[in-house]
Amino acid sequence: MFTLLQIAARNLARNRKRTLLLGGAIAIVTVLLVLLTALFNGTQASMLRNATTLSTGHVNVAGFYKITSGTAAPVVTEYAKLRDVVQSQVPELQSMVVRGRGFGKLVSDVSSQMAVVSGIDIEQEGNFKNILEIVHGDVSKLSEPHSILIFEQTAERLELKIGDNVTLSSQTFRGAANSIDCKVVAIAKPLGMFSSFFSYVPMTTLRELYGFDPTTAGGIQLYLKDWEQAELVAARLRLGLVKAGYRVMDHTEKPYWQKFDIVKREDWTGQKIDVTTWMDEDPFMRWTLVGFRAIIVIVFMVLLAIIIIGVMNTLWMAIRERTREVGALRAIGMQRHTVLAMFVTEGALLALISSTSGAILGVLAAYGLNAAHLKMIKGFQMVLMSETVTLLVNVPTVLLSLLVIAGVTTLGSILPAWRAARLQPVEAMHSSN
Amino acid sequence: MATHSASHPIVHLSNVDKDYQLGAVTVTALRQVSLEIAPGEFTVIAGPSGSGKTTLLNLIGCVDVATRGQVMVAGQDTGKLSEGDLTRLRLNALGFIFQSFNLVGVLDAFQNVEFPLLLQKKLNAPQRRERVMDLLKRVGIDEHAHHRPGELSGGQRQRVAIARALVTLPRIVLADEPTANLDSVTGNQILDLMQELNREGTTFLFSTHDPKVVTRAGRVVRLVDGRIVAEETPEQYKNSQA
Repeated sequence: MFTLLQIAARNLARNRKRTLLLGGAIAIVTVLLVLLTALFNGTQASMLRNATTLSTGHVNVAGFYKITSGTAAPVVTEYAKLRDVVQSQVPELQSMVVRGRGFGKLVSDVSSQMAVVSGIDIEQEGNFKNILEIVHGDVSKLSEPHSILIFEQTAERLELKIGDNVTLSSQTFRGAANSIDCKVVAIAKPLGMFSSFFSYVPMTTLRELYGFDPTTAGGIQLYLKDWEQAELVAARLRLGLVKAGYRVMDHTEKPYWQKFDIVKREDWTGQKIDVTTWMDEDPFMRWTLVGFRAIIVIVFMVLLAIIIIGVMNTLWMAIRERTREVGALRAIGMQRHTVLAMFVTEGALLALISSTSGAILGVLAAYGLNAAHLKMIKGFQMVLMSETVTLLVNVPTVLLSLLVIAGVTTLGSILPAWRAARLQPVEAMHSSN
Repeated sequence: MATHSASHPIVHLSNVDKDYQLGAVTVTALRQVSLEIAPGEFTVIAGPSGSGKTTLLNLIGCVDVATRGQVMVAGQDTGKLSEGDLTRLRLNALGFIFQSFNLVGVLDAFQNVEFPLLLQKKLNAPQRRERVMDLLKRVGIDEHAHHRPGELSGGQRQRVAIARALVTLPRIVLADEPTANLDSVTGNQILDLMQELNREGTTFLFSTHDPKVVTRAGRVVRLVDGRIVAEETPEQYKNSQA
């Protein structure tokens, strides 16, 4: 085996130009893959961090309360008891916050718009204050009753500034119209495309709007130690809550504000709990990530196909040049499988060295790009919920990229190597003659 | 691998034909060839270009199979062996010396000679080293053991090729025009070496169309248009050519 490795290494070194050209291409593909996956990881982490602060936890325990079968209120009664049950069933839990959920119309002197209204207790919120970039006002003033935080797009559309009043109007879940005036205390920089539909008021204000008592909440947002466990925890929690005596809604991959009509049509009354994940509550983020991943896969496939064709061509050339050598080696007693191994070793060695170099370069480039704090163009900022390009290098992903490229490239060398192994010694030697 | 006593022929061909298909045309390269090579012989297959010398060596060397007839090498009927068995037979019973040396360009002289032993997997590293160095010394190339073929002259390369052919202690060494790519002085040196090795017990069968080379043989098999027309001494061959 060592001799085969030596033959492979020396043949690669002998055809320096060809090796550098193909090895360089493999390395570039690896660099691109490492950068793309790092960009995906970075974007995912950044979107997840922002989205799970604004509108969802990794897992959400919320639900609907129906006084009559034709109504639907996005509330959980006796939330403190539910919180204790949840806490006991989720050892993966890192933290949780209680939020209120509402949907209504924001009316200013000049215009109006529909908005998702979240009730928050600003003093209990952790990341919320750090994630939001407040451009005007003071977010801590959300502790004051009848205060509201809106985003810049809303402020522009409704022509609102700090200190202005905006009327928050909604239908209570008993069917009566209600409205309260809120003072704009903070205006935040947009955080993704959907932030223009979000606004935040104190929990007490939201309860007042809907006429709820203090034992109700919109839902409990759970933050896990490992967000990738969200689906697992949600599934387990659905069963756990049923065992604990709660009625649990069937899982639907939709945010709560898209479920009103569905719930209203259902023939039940009272409380039902809905356990969702961040992917359910933020479909835009899910679509963005799925789309991003699809783009990576397509780009990767195209690049990989090019590389495989390159490897096959290179080995075809090597085999053509060394047909006489193959014939002689077969004549002196080299078995077909050893000929196959000889050429596959050459392909594998080139793939491994090139993809390793590419992975190292890719990681360095990712750190370099992060250090450069590159600004994203506006459109991407809205979609990806981040101002700067953030690349997150994940060692297992880098190793996987490296292995996939090296493995697939090696696979590409099998066909030409197999053809070389099938050469009849006499024909191979004739070609030399 | 079958073993045979010294009196048994190493090679036995009986009524062998070899046809090649060139499109719709069948070309017969060998017709009704019968031949025996006994251990210790130094036999030359002589004949003009296109007479079938290389085809005959290919059949004996188990790199090709006969269309009709029987080819026995080291006691085995090559027509009945699988591809893998033929390869093993070549590795263990035969040595090859090629006109163009056909050394592995990226391995040095030592590694080229060692290569068949690595394929055999019978000897450990120190044993292989001893065998290879002995042979390199024997063919007078030990000082160039770590030179690659590109750094050696034609004669030196052919010496390495001879050492490679001998390293597995084959029953017979087949050489296809071994001096054709060498100048006459180097060619003579190579023939001297082969004769010396033959005197020490190695069986050689080689092809040539050079009458000067034929004179070195113990026996000459004359081939014309794919048929053996004579088996004679070098002197008889010389007279027939005159």
